[in-house]
Amino acid sequence: MTNPIANLQRVSADYKTMDKKDKKRFWTDMILNNALYILMAIFIIYTAIEQPNFLTLGSFANLITQVAAYLPLALGIAGCIVLTGTDLSAGRVVGLTAAIAGVFMQKTDFANKMFANLPAINGWWIAATLLAVIAIGAVIGLVNGFFVAKFSLHPFIVTLSTQLITYGIILWFFALNGNNGQPISGLSAEYKNFVGGAMFRLGGVAVPRYVLYAVILTALMWFIWNKTTFGKNMFAVGSNAEAAKVSGVNVFLTTMLVHTLAGAMYGYAGFIEGVRAGSVAASTGLNAECDAIAACVIGGVSFVGGTGKISGIILGVFVLRIIFVALTMLGVDSSSLYIIKGAIILCACALDMRKYLVKK
Amino acid sequence: MKKFFAIALALVMALAMVACAKPADAPAAEEAAPAADAAKVVVFWYDESDVYLSSVRDAMNTEFAALGITPDNQFAANNQTTQLDQINTAIAGGADILVVNQVTSGASDTAEDIIAAAGDIPVVFFNRAIGVDGADVTVLENNASIAFIGTDAPAAGHMQGKMIGDYVVANYDAIDLNKDGVISYAMMKGDEANVEAIYRTQFGLEDANLVIEAAGKPALQYFDAANTDCYQVDQAGAWSAAAAKEYMDTNFVSYNEANGNMIELVICNNDGMAEGVIASLQEKGYNVDGAHVVPVFGVDATDNAKALIAEGAMTGTIKQDAQGMAAAVSQTVKAIVEGSAPVDAIAGLTDERFSIAPEVATKLYVAYAPYTGE
Repeated sequence: MTNPIANLQRVSADYKTMDKKDKKRFWTDMILNNALYILMAIFIIYTAIEQPNFLTLGSFANLITQVAAYLPLALGIAGCIVLTGTDLSAGRVVGLTAAIAGVFMQKTDFANKMFANLPAINGWWIAATLLAVIAIGAVIGLVNGFFVAKFSLHPFIVTLSTQLITYGIILWFFALNGNNGQPISGLSAEYKNFVGGAMFRLGGVAVPRYVLYAVILTALMWFIWNKTTFGKNMFAVGSNAEAAKVSGVNVFLTTMLVHTLAGAMYGYAGFIEGVRAGSVAASTGLNAECDAIAACVIGGVSFVGGTGKISGIILGVFVLRIIFVALTMLGVDSSSLYIIKGAIILCACALDMRKYLVKK
Repeated sequence: MKKFFAIALALVMALAMVACAKPADAPAAEEAAPAADAAKVVVFWYDESDVYLSSVRDAMNTEFAALGITPDNQFAANNQTTQLDQINTAIAGGADILVVNQVTSGASDTAEDIIAAAGDIPVVFFNRAIGVDGADVTVLENNASIAFIGTDAPAAGHMQGKMIGDYVVANYDAIDLNKDGVISYAMMKGDEANVEAIYRTQFGLEDANLVIEAAGKPALQYFDAANTDCYQVDQAGAWSAAAAKEYMDTNFVSYNEANGNMIELVICNNDGMAEGVIASLQEKGYNVDGAHVVPVFGVDATDNAKALIAEGAMTGTIKQDAQGMAAAVSQTVKAIVEGSAPVDAIAGLTDERFSIAPEVATKLYVAYAPYTGE
């Protein structure tokens, strides 16, 4: 399987030995298994014909910028889905960490600064804030993981609870120090530059630094998933927790760590989100988990558990963002956008399940 | 059979994409024919379900059509990052002018980001504030390529407060259900962070009390002494009828006529919330024909609110002029795409409903008006 050319030769040799009926099945299987790619290709070609701006460098820069913004959340939530779970708290954790990063990063001379006595913004303070929000995300993840692992509660229930609790904390936080629920504004130039400063320009559109960070995070997650014992244990627990336990995997610790890692990713996403929106409001992060979960399932991270690849998650995020960008450029109203998104998630999962059932 | 089903699924998906993509490009093709220089106008709305903005959108589509412009409407589902993604995508798609109903109301930094992303493309902000406490004026002064069309945020609150005050003074004894000489009120706030909501919550009460106290009556008193905020807020920030109704339903459990502590007057940040409050009151037998009417005040003068006022179920609202807003935005956009600078486009508007803000020439106010029935 590792050598694609040898693999292709083997498939073509197999194909020659097939009779007519098998050949027909071979093609239908191939079309169905790759339906998503084929449809996306058709969709991209259609959009490019209707709206030539879609295939420009500037448009590509816009696309990868959006992908880089949505990827960290999907990478985090994917681990929970591999464990047959989910995480509904992701969006609110992003909101909370974005708010905390926001107040730490407000300009020193900003009139409506929430906490007046914070240190001046420099590299160390930015690094400390980044670590702090990642830690806060991780702690919420740890709480999720603990209740899931310790009491065998379904993650849906646990994370629904933490979602509500986190939102309560957000509202409380926004009312602190006479802020009265106002959006957190006046983010310092250093912070904005650290996250969103232009690395280079493609077709006149700046590519921000968080694209690079997303690449680094993706590489890190790939390493964790594929090259560490923890990653292998995660898949073992996801496919069959009982079997994993019998073969000596610490299910409790693995579940806790998966959720903690996910929380850390949300913390990072929150750090980015404030700069992306220009300010942080109490509603920041609302429903962010929906897009992340959708990206995962489109990319083949299955709710059946124990399956999923980092490359699939990237693909899923790309599919969602391509749909968004293309339909926005075509001027399709957003009601149809929701319908199309829903249809694609449904079909992608149905086709994915079909592969799974055939395997079984 | 299974295979057939799977193929059918894939087909449905393909059809959904093509079918939904088709109608939108049809007008674009028609538009290209009459005028070669047809401008690409993209309007970004903070949310699709806002009642008042839906009437603005309706009116605006008509206004634009009359001017030969086909706008492309985008909705951000109350999410600022979604809106920024939409804006960046529209810029990459060659938009000629951006008309923005900013999600995070009052965030001048977000407005600056949008302006920076737009570069040379003119931006017309409308309805939702792009700064608080004069920050919007700075943004407008620093950027010649933009304009703001909105309402003078405190004005609606002041007007609502005066309306409530006058009504209370004229009907004091009828409103005072438990005859304790004090009128207890409830306040429904639309969004914790929205400037308009904050001003309406503040002035709707303060100005009412000014009028009431000037007439020698005691000030309105919040019904729940334990709530020091003195308002109940839609936590989703959606100004929704549902949130207001849930609050009222809950309030009724401990505050009702039987306990002698019934809420005697309700002030709402908008008509949507007023509708929710009235629905709750009507379930309990108030505000219907022949029953006691608890005065409920809103802002916006939506069609539903006007109907409720006509029925006698609602007392008053402040007319937020959807037609006027739509006319102001579409005429400004038209002038800008024809080559005017935003400042000239704003100055060129001649309509008694509009007034240019005293602080800066690119900020236009659309007037409010009290409404208590035709």
